Amino acid sequence: MNDYLPLVGMIALVIVFVLASFVASILLGPRNPNSAKQAAYECGIVPESEPAERFPVKFFLVAMSFIVLDVEIVFLYPFAMVMRGLGVFGLVAITIFVLVLLIPFAYLLSVGALAWGPVAQVIREIVPVRRTSVAVLDPALTEGTTGQAA
Amino acid sequence: MDALDVLDLIWLVPTLPAIGAVVLLLFGKRIGEPKSGYLATSLMALSFLGSVAAFFALGSLGSEERHHVYNWFTWISSIGKNSDFTVSFGFLADPLSITMILFVTGISTLIHLYAIGYMARDPRFSRFFAYLNLFAASMLVLVLGSSFLMTFMGWEGVGLCSYLLISFWFERNSAAVAGKKAFVTNRVGDFGFMIAMFLIFSKLGSLDYATALPAAPGLSQGTITAIALLLFVGAMGKSAQFPLHIWLPDAMEGPTPVSALIHAATMVTAGVFLVSRAHVFFDLGGSANDVVAWIGAITALGAATIAIRQNDIKRVLAYSTLSQLGYMFLAVGVGSYSAALFHMVTHAFFKALLFLGAGSVIHGMHHEQDMRRMGGLKRAMPITAGTFIIGWLAIAGVPPFAGFWSKDEILAKAWFSDVAGGKALWAIGLVAALLTAFYMSRQVWLVFFGNARYDSEGDHAVNPHESPMTMVLPLVVLSGLSIVGGFLSLPFTSPNLEFLVRWLEPSLEGASHIEASSFGLGFALSVGAIVIGITGIAIGRRVYSGGLAEDGTDPVETRLAGFGKVLENAYYIDAGIAKAVSGPLTGAANFLTDTVDRRLIDGAVNGTGRAFKELGGGLRRVQTGRVRSYALGIMLGAVALLGWFATRVDF
Amino acid sequence: MLALFTQPIDAARMIAVPKIDWLAIGPPVVLFTAALAIVLLASLLRGRSLQHDLDDWVVLCAFAGPIEFWLGRFSAIRYNHDVFSIIVMLAGIGSVAFAMGVSIVRKHTFAASLVIALAGVISAVAITVAQWNVVRTSGSFTSMAGAVAVDGMAVFVMGVVLVATVFGLLLGTSWIRREQLEGPEFLALLLLCATGMLVMASANDLIVVFVALEVFSIALYVMTAFDRHRIESQEAGLKYFLLGAFSSAIFLYGVALTYGATGSTNLVTIRESLTGLVGGDNGLLMVGFALMLVGLGFKVAAAPFHMWTPDVYQGAPTPVTAFMAGATKVAAFGALLRIFVGSFDLLQTDWRPAVYGLAIVSMIVGSVAAIVQTDVKRMLAYSSIAHAGYVLIGVQVATESNGGLGGTSAALFYLGIYMLMAVGAFAVIQVVGRARETDSSLDDYKGLARKEPVLAGLLTLFLLAQAGVPLTAGFVAKLTVFKAAVDAGQFQIALIGMLSATVAAFVYLRIVLSMYSGDEHGSATPVEGNRLTVDLPVRITISLTAALVLLFGVVPGWLLDVAEHATSILAG
Repeated sequence: MNDYLPLVGMIALVIVFVLASFVASILLGPRNPNSAKQAAYECGIVPESEPAERFPVKFFLVAMSFIVLDVEIVFLYPFAMVMRGLGVFGLVAITIFVLVLLIPFAYLLSVGALAWGPVAQVIREIVPVRRTSVAVLDPALTEGTTGQAA
Repeated sequence: MDALDVLDLIWLVPTLPAIGAVVLLLFGKRIGEPKSGYLATSLMALSFLGSVAAFFALGSLGSEERHHVYNWFTWISSIGKNSDFTVSFGFLADPLSITMILFVTGISTLIHLYAIGYMARDPRFSRFFAYLNLFAASMLVLVLGSSFLMTFMGWEGVGLCSYLLISFWFERNSAAVAGKKAFVTNRVGDFGFMIAMFLIFSKLGSLDYATALPAAPGLSQGTITAIALLLFVGAMGKSAQFPLHIWLPDAMEGPTPVSALIHAATMVTAGVFLVSRAHVFFDLGGSANDVVAWIGAITALGAATIAIRQNDIKRVLAYSTLSQLGYMFLAVGVGSYSAALFHMVTHAFFKALLFLGAGSVIHGMHHEQDMRRMGGLKRAMPITAGTFIIGWLAIAGVPPFAGFWSKDEILAKAWFSDVAGGKALWAIGLVAALLTAFYMSRQVWLVFFGNARYDSEGDHAVNPHESPMTMVLPLVVLSGLSIVGGFLSLPFTSPNLEFLVRWLEPSLEGASHIEASSFGLGFALSVGAIVIGITGIAIGRRVYSGGLAEDGTDPVETRLAGFGKVLENAYYIDAGIAKAVSGPLTGAANFLTDTVDRRLIDGAVNGTGRAFKELGGGLRRVQTGRVRSYALGIMLGAVALLGWFATRVDF
Repeated sequence: MLALFTQPIDAARMIAVPKIDWLAIGPPVVLFTAALAIVLLASLLRGRSLQHDLDDWVVLCAFAGPIEFWLGRFSAIRYNHDVFSIIVMLAGIGSVAFAMGVSIVRKHTFAASLVIALAGVISAVAITVAQWNVVRTSGSFTSMAGAVAVDGMAVFVMGVVLVATVFGLLLGTSWIRREQLEGPEFLALLLLCATGMLVMASANDLIVVFVALEVFSIALYVMTAFDRHRIESQEAGLKYFLLGAFSSAIFLYGVALTYGATGSTNLVTIRESLTGLVGGDNGLLMVGFALMLVGLGFKVAAAPFHMWTPDVYQGAPTPVTAFMAGATKVAAFGALLRIFVGSFDLLQTDWRPAVYGLAIVSMIVGSVAAIVQTDVKRMLAYSSIAHAGYVLIGVQVATESNGGLGGTSAALFYLGIYMLMAVGAFAVIQVVGRARETDSSLDDYKGLARKEPVLAGLLTLFLLAQAGVPLTAGFVAKLTVFKAAVDAGQFQIALIGMLSATVAAFVYLRIVLSMYSGDEHGSATPVEGNRLTVDLPVRITISLTAALVLLFGVVPGWLLDVAEHATSILAG
């Protein structure tokens, strides 16, 4: 157990430090609350409405999609550094990797996961987009044309 | 073809009805009525012929060689690396199993034939015969199995089929409930059998009769007694011994051929068979034997008293079956397996006869089962009445009918055995015999003699009539057997007329022989039994020869006063058990789900699964509430595990 | 441009390239590829596809074609590429290609996806058969730097999972078309889920186990919530997700502690490091055990980590429930066996009593709580908890070496059989449930026997098998685990098992009774209405599972033999 003694000591220290900070702030800090100080954003400007409880779920979806594709870049960088050393094997491997990310990306486009926002909604209401393989590969084009048609 | 080749064909005996069951289940509708009935009956008859052939083949062997195992195929092979545990789909032909299959197939054939008439115009006619065939096949596997596991398989199959058959008219709620009751009660018995099996396996390393049984004497006394008692629990379930007898009277909800099949020939005899097959455990079982004998005696007497106050024609017979089974276990308990088996055979004859006769009456009376609304039927159905009367004389113990010989044998064995309280057992048996004669006489007079108490005019007029040929023929055959069945084993040793006892000897090797200490005393006991039987009949005649009064009050009822009510309700055992068992079990389940899974409460009220729809806006609330508590459950489980593993750490 | 890669550079700067053992990782790779192909197809054809059109002949071609091909392939290997085998192979390819081509031309996206999915799964089955032969002839081996083990148990578990996947695809097909949901996505998710399970089955490294666990869990969460029309499904998905994430985290913590205690995550290395070690002096490892047991106990739905099971099984779409009961349990038990029996058999005195306790609690909770249920799916959910308990009996005696039936093979055999019984039962429940799965309460089953005698009869068969009635596979399965326990001298647990089986039989009987009862004129029951639709995929599933349940009940020898040889765990 001796190996872990420093760890236990560390944990104890952390607890002591946190508790001490709290106690210190309670004891030392002056307290005279007013309504401006208690507001959600203590920045001096009175908020006009309560903060929104819900966000459109698409925020999260796009964020998650972004993270997934972001990872691609992270892996591409080290690959680029040793590309020649890996030879054909590396090429094939990275191709498969990119494909695995590319196909879901195509799927995202096809279901319209990235086409959103007020403008896209308005357009969709006016002219229902008919999704074809052309539309999948170049959604901007289709949306542009339908937009013009409207 | 020599005898062994014939015995190798023994697999045909259970397979033929099994084929019938499969064919009828698949193509029953297409084959239709009555062809499916004929198909089932003829397959059963073929199976009977096979049994007869096997009987002669076995008989042609010397008595030492009458033990032949035929392994059809390997069922469960070589589980385990170092274990030679294999279960063959094997059949054992020895005098015991051959005796069983002879009367099982024989009586089944007659009942099949009878059912063609009885079940006529039933919408599920072919289905009924499929079940009947399956039932017979299971029973044959049970008695022919070469290992405990094979027997257990048949055992389960019989239980399952009885459930299907008892609740055959599932449209009637009572039938469905009765089927369930039979199934569950039997499971309790099965549980005992299973534990016994595992005990045997773990101690002896084999479930084969040929290996396990001879090795049994090497076990410790405690183990043997435990095994014997557990096997007996199994036997109690199937053979409906107190207190697991509650399913049998309710089983009357099934069609009458089923009652005959279950009560007379097959299911209920399984327990007696099992005990005889594994008799080695009972021979050495010490106090286990006393338990068996006394449970048997209690059942014999208790059921006989209950039967006095029943008004349903089939329920009287049901309690009478209980009582007779009690006799058999009494015989087993005092160590006389051959007497038990003898009574089992004769009982199969006359009880099948009585049930089929009752069925014939019910059929002729447009499904009226209340004896208070019968009477004077002997003119309307002379053959039924005549055969029923033969069955009555047989069960009441009047010589020379079958029942007398076997019952007398049991009583004599009880008297002469060296079991503690043997004389008391004998006395109980004698009282039960008196009651048997009495309630059977009551039934005969209420049904066939006296004043006619049914409506013969008006909208719901009942016109009693004799049943069709297919129903009457089995009655006649069975009444013949009930007359001569006793001659299978006459209590005379010189010249030796104990045919059945001698025949069964190789199977019951090692069982003790109980000899009458003197011929004179034995003779005196027999005379006593006859007198008792005739007394019972005489009382019955005296009370009931005039039929019932207009308002249907039973003379016995007035005399028994309050106790009559107790008897009518079968000592309130059913109600008591229902309360005792279902209360705590439901309680436990409720507790579990209450604390473990709270949503059930809502579910029970609102219809499960839809409850949270009413919670409105549901998702958020449901998640924050419940998932948290589920997570808490996981946490508690984790803490428990951590607690355990913490004890494993040496600090 | 390719020269950029092929041009030799300074030899010293060349990086040693690992050799990929395609046979070892074949099954998951094939499934994953199939899933990707479906996603690609779905995205390219979206918008102009006739989503749910599916002809029976396409199902047959998709089902029989790959089987034909692989049979031809095996016979070609055996008989030196004789003409007949080649023809059979070509016919297989032809029928798949034809079904595929016609579906794409007619823009039947879903049909095309189904063809791809079935071809993928059946090919994966063929690869596991090849693996089995290799393992049997030349022994177990590891590959991919020791992260993947190919041994008897891995192949057996993979086989069971793949068969369950085939059934899941068929049931899912029927369900998707009934509910008019996104078909290709569902099939792709199912394949991804199966991929994770396959990886889990052969994972020889705790990290790989965890990754696989997450892969199949996340796919399962989504599938559970797949039915947009039913709020129950959404709720179940979310619940399963939250609790699953919770348990995964606990499992991962256990892995970390185990790594801390043993210095490795590779299961073989761990085992080697344990020789000579006494468990008691290693507190970290003990905590690791506890936490890993929690994580895996959650996945196999063992009490007391079972609370999600009734809600999720009931809420999830029935094909998903069937797949969950059939495949998830097997995969998770595979990992459990591999970790505890394979790597930590030397410390069995420490973990065995814990598993023993879990087994008892699971059996009791599962069978007793099922009694008061009124919903059939919920009943079977509780019964699946009890079944997990029976398997745990096998697991905890798996290290017993005193001969007799190994607990490992008993557990594996039980899992294989349970998969068949559960899938069959849920298949019938799916049909009876009707659109939106509204009909799953006991009352909805009233009178089923009269309206649909065949369906009712088959459900009775599956339920009786689960109750352990002789001549069904369930009996042999129960017998093997109880026997394993008795062999190990554990009489009590076998006793509790039998008692709980007796109680559980009552539960199954309630369902059967409900089907075979019901008043003559109960027009209120929906079953009285129009007939249930049993389409071809469901028909294939039900008849195959029923046939196998009966077959393994009468002649279980073959499967017992396979389970017997599946006990080789590389680390052990």
